Amino acid sequence: MWTIDNEVIGRDPAEATVSLTINGKACTAFPNETILHCARRHDIYIPTLCELDDIDHTPGTCRVCIVEIVQAGREIEQFVTSCNTPVGEGMVVQTRTPKVRAMQKLQVELLMADHLQDCATCTRHGDCELQDLAQFVGLKENRFFDRQRTEAREVDESSPALIRDMRRCVRCQRCVAVCRYHQEVDALVMSGTGVNRLVSLRHGFEQASSTCVSCGQCVLVCPTGALGERDETDRALDYICDPEFTTVVQFAPAVRVAFGEEFGMPPGTNVQGHVIAACRKIGVDVVLDTNFAADVVIMEEGIELLERLKAGRKPTFTSCCPAWINFAEIHYPDILPLLSSTKSPQQVLSTLAKTYLPEKLGVPQEKIRVISIMPCTAKKDEAVRPQLAIGDMPETDVVLTTREFARLLRREGIDLKDLEPSEFDNPYMSEFTGAGAIFGTTGGVMEAAVRTIYAVVNGEELEDVELTQLRGFEGVRTATVNLGGPFGDVKVAMCHGLGDTRALVEKVRSGDADFDFIEIMACPGGCVDGGGSLRSKKAYLPLALARRETIYNVDRTRKVRQSHNNEQVKTLYRDFLDAPNSEKAHKLLHTHYSERSRDMHQTVKEVWDDITMSTMLY
Amino acid sequence: MAQVAFGVWDGVVHDASKRAGDAQSSISALKNFNEFDDGNPIRAFFGDRGFFVFDETVSLVDGLFHYMNKAAEESCGACTPCRMGTVLVRDALDAMRRGIDSPLDFDEIEILGEQMTETSLCGLGKTCSVALLDVIRNFRDRIEKEVAVKRPIRAQHGMAYMTAPCIEACPSKINVPRYIDYIRDGKPENSLGVLLQKYPMAATCGRVCVRYCEEACRRKFVDEAVGIKTLKRYVADQQKGPNALKFTRDMIRKPLADGMRVAVVGAGPAGISCAYHLLLQGYHVDLFEKHEQAGGMAQIGIPSYRLPKDTLAMETDIIAALGGRFLFGQQLGRDFTVEDLFARGYKAVFLGLGCQAGTALGVEGEEHARGGYHRGIDFLLKVHDHVAGVRNLDLSGEVVVVGAGNVAMDCVRSAVRLGADNVHVVYRRTRQDMPADDEEIVAADHEGIHLHTLTNPTRILTEDGNVVGVELVKMEQTEPDESGRRKVRPIPGTEYTIPCDTIVAAIGQQVEDEAMVESDGIAFNRWKCVETDDALLTSRPGVFAGGDCVTGPSTLIYAMSAGLQAARNINDWIQLGTIRFFKRTRMRQLLEDNRILANDVVETPVRAAYRVHNPALDPELRKHMFGEVEQTISNREAYAEAQRCMRCYRVYSVITQHSIPEGAV
Repeated sequence: MWTIDNEVIGRDPAEATVSLTINGKACTAFPNETILHCARRHDIYIPTLCELDDIDHTPGTCRVCIVEIVQAGREIEQFVTSCNTPVGEGMVVQTRTPKVRAMQKLQVELLMADHLQDCATCTRHGDCELQDLAQFVGLKENRFFDRQRTEAREVDESSPALIRDMRRCVRCQRCVAVCRYHQEVDALVMSGTGVNRLVSLRHGFEQASSTCVSCGQCVLVCPTGALGERDETDRALDYICDPEFTTVVQFAPAVRVAFGEEFGMPPGTNVQGHVIAACRKIGVDVVLDTNFAADVVIMEEGIELLERLKAGRKPTFTSCCPAWINFAEIHYPDILPLLSSTKSPQQVLSTLAKTYLPEKLGVPQEKIRVISIMPCTAKKDEAVRPQLAIGDMPETDVVLTTREFARLLRREGIDLKDLEPSEFDNPYMSEFTGAGAIFGTTGGVMEAAVRTIYAVVNGEELEDVELTQLRGFEGVRTATVNLGGPFGDVKVAMCHGLGDTRALVEKVRSGDADFDFIEIMACPGGCVDGGGSLRSKKAYLPLALARRETIYNVDRTRKVRQSHNNEQVKTLYRDFLDAPNSEKAHKLLHTHYSERSRDMHQTVKEVWDDITMSTMLY
Repeated sequence: MAQVAFGVWDGVVHDASKRAGDAQSSISALKNFNEFDDGNPIRAFFGDRGFFVFDETVSLVDGLFHYMNKAAEESCGACTPCRMGTVLVRDALDAMRRGIDSPLDFDEIEILGEQMTETSLCGLGKTCSVALLDVIRNFRDRIEKEVAVKRPIRAQHGMAYMTAPCIEACPSKINVPRYIDYIRDGKPENSLGVLLQKYPMAATCGRVCVRYCEEACRRKFVDEAVGIKTLKRYVADQQKGPNALKFTRDMIRKPLADGMRVAVVGAGPAGISCAYHLLLQGYHVDLFEKHEQAGGMAQIGIPSYRLPKDTLAMETDIIAALGGRFLFGQQLGRDFTVEDLFARGYKAVFLGLGCQAGTALGVEGEEHARGGYHRGIDFLLKVHDHVAGVRNLDLSGEVVVVGAGNVAMDCVRSAVRLGADNVHVVYRRTRQDMPADDEEIVAADHEGIHLHTLTNPTRILTEDGNVVGVELVKMEQTEPDESGRRKVRPIPGTEYTIPCDTIVAAIGQQVEDEAMVESDGIAFNRWKCVETDDALLTSRPGVFAGGDCVTGPSTLIYAMSAGLQAARNINDWIQLGTIRFFKRTRMRQLLEDNRILANDVVETPVRAAYRVHNPALDPELRKHMFGEVEQTISNREAYAEAQRCMRCYRVYSVITQHSIPEGAV
């Protein structure tokens, strides 16, 4: 009812009943299809900026995709935006006349009038849709740039995770759309009018105190350098280059399958060995695997879940996704008691690297610095949570997103594909099982947990470890799993993307959903498409399935596929932690959550003071 | 008669000196263009379709600057060409009128103007360069001469005004595209704020408004009008829930001294609106209401299945939150007089009496009918009491409602809910002529009523004072008269009776206790409505009136707009002893007199996206209850509906001889 179905792939060509010509070429189109869509199907390029087909976003605001049309039965030409203008029978479309090209070029020049063009210092340099566009339209001059006006724009650096640089915003509103319609966090609004119109946080909050959960999906769709992560490559280098410190790097399950394309390797290539080699090359002392910590998390969370089930407490929500934790704390604090207290794999690994590892390596705790490489912006938030510190010392010292890690390697002159892949060599914290590996994709945590819980309850391994009933890709999937023993059937749900998460949480709160265990990943697809992943130009999450397939392949090719059978995990419990959920494990590997709901009250007076272009008239 | 010296309108060039165009015929038809206000000639006019110059000595560069300055101020900034273009052109024209080097020459300005016209997203960007391009392309020698001297151009007087068809159609002049924009922007609370600038009853209006704005909406040329009312209801929900907007006293611009008291008689939509604006201006306001609740016709006249009572109460409570005082059970003429009010020290009085006395059918037997006979408005009052649990009203058998206005439809749909076996509507004209909101007629139809059109009652049959039937006669339409209007007349010999248990006469209302009010020095006109001048001042100094008691039974939105207008004028009257010129009203008059705001079709293709509808309860279920039938749309639906607005903004400006008096800020 409310969406215009832009999807024509798979539609019966016989339904393409509208005939028109584009640049003289006869084309057929579906009724109500846009000119742009039709042109793309016929392999005719039209430059665009604000439009993003993958999220059905055609606000028609940049006005770059101007084409000339003559409607049937008329003589005069009109200039329309192809992204949101429908085809018409007998329409004649021209995309490259001198006038159209001049108009497209002028449009880009007007866009540049208040866009900060210090490209060399921008993180998007060389990977920017606006730069591409300027090249396409052949922009040669920049008559209207007003530096003073542009530099006066807001740069919000309040958040540990995300930086919003409004000097580089082109007002495409893709971030607003993805936050509003896909993640349904709806933290972003359009504020101001005229040249002051910009994206801002709801109710004028700063990023850090807003309803934003730092999932970073907005960063993935931003065409320019307006949205990005807080760059911490320098802090990472400071530690790596300082001989005083023993630097430990960990990288997440999803990083190894979502990184190679930055260096020209096919999407979904497993570059685990390359990443290890690169870390060694830049001088990292110890390379560990977050997958190992994922196995530990399964031990802790699995036993915790069984305890809760015994006590009749349900449902239990997973706790490994920091954007989900933010979401629960900010938007639904009443459900916090339902969250597992187990720390995320990143924090489990960092904690062990500063408690268990020093004993094993004979390095003082205070000399260890943990750098984690994550496909995630919210992990930066997580690392600075006060409850995730050992005394004054944070457990995780620096979080680099996948994008920053790529930047770091370029700064060090490293091309990933030139490296000889290497292996983990730490005997304490780098072995991982297939269960740990699949943490990176939606349903993976649940599947890994079931493999271990089943064995704990029944004293024997699950016959078929690949739980295909958990592996779909729908936003919410539910299943019933027979755990045997006193538990019998348990109802589980897996949810990815915060839009579906919100709906599920609402149902849980209203008593309309009955589940025992619920896995939540804030990003659509899970960590393989986390908000800290590499960006794809003009596309949203195009590589999810390739990355996911590689993750399942990693699982399939592991000799050991259950967390509890990880030898290094067994050693950890034997030598250090005692048992899952032991007092020591509880102290080190569990955490707590706190309400952070925002005061959203406003008075009419405050609202009136914010209103422009409409006034009281007496 | 103002003589056009030169100009361009709809692409046609007029030049008196060259006798170009068949100009004089169309231009001499310009009405009321001589003066803007008394003794203040209009020198030039700029609009979305071109411009006229009446005084050749006017500076076009300065005039275009003021026009473009307005466009730049009002540009929403969503699309690139308008956001930057308006600013760049304005700054260039500003430099020119100051006699300094301009960053752009006329060629560059022309290219930017063309870019804005051809490629902007909405009506503002598409039309704000039309006059500019007309000047550059047809009278370039004049502007070049103006700037050649490189001296500052003498400042000119005038005003600029931005509007849209939906705004002009709305009696309250709600800035419709603005509040829809705020929904798109993700700020529904600001959207509500825009509505609250005009009246405090957004949730009520979002449920029962007759939507003049939607009739004017140009989206209908693409698919359907934007669901403006549906969106209004959605944003009005910002008044509810845990994060409801708070009404605080700091909304009041400047609290006035204790003696600055105004009495509002009648707490209906007109009175509430008037009180609201007086309170915001700092007055101390007492509202005298004969019933025990506020809301007037919105309270008693609109059944709860359309407007839940708590929704209305939430809005009338705003008056109390702002310091207004309700005095319930106080009826003018019975409990106090206008004379008393002045004696008690009120500086002015507003009468929002409404039209609450039902009109009789005037047929034989009516005077004997007691049991089972109701006037429409009395019937709704009984329904109100029934729903409120005050007094039960049981209906059974056959119910006949005479009339086809909104009150009649409310009676019909209420009767269905009260358990009538069959409900009949008797109307003397055709289905197409029925004055009720079409949605109401359709909804009633879904609830299973019987419609008797071209039928009129002639006699009410009673036994012992109880209604037992009604005699009806068939009507026929006459041939259209000169004005094209067809009348109806009875067909002799077609009388027939239908047995019935209840008759509701819902054919109109008038002011209650007219004679008593008249004796208070308030003159009535021949339609038995309170007589007022354009400023809503009655025959008695210091007494203003508005709403149904002035216009006859009308709409919520008209009543609320009268309340606003009266509040503004009461303020003038108290503070200045006179009522000031209101320049925006004059500009609207100019546009209306000359039909300048063209209702032009949409020329470029637009993707069809049909409007969302309020979810409604199933007719079989809702027939048996007084709970609200329509529900509010979801966030997602609201965003989608808001996207359908095409923002048909237009800017108009005049250059005048002298400064225009400020009746408003």
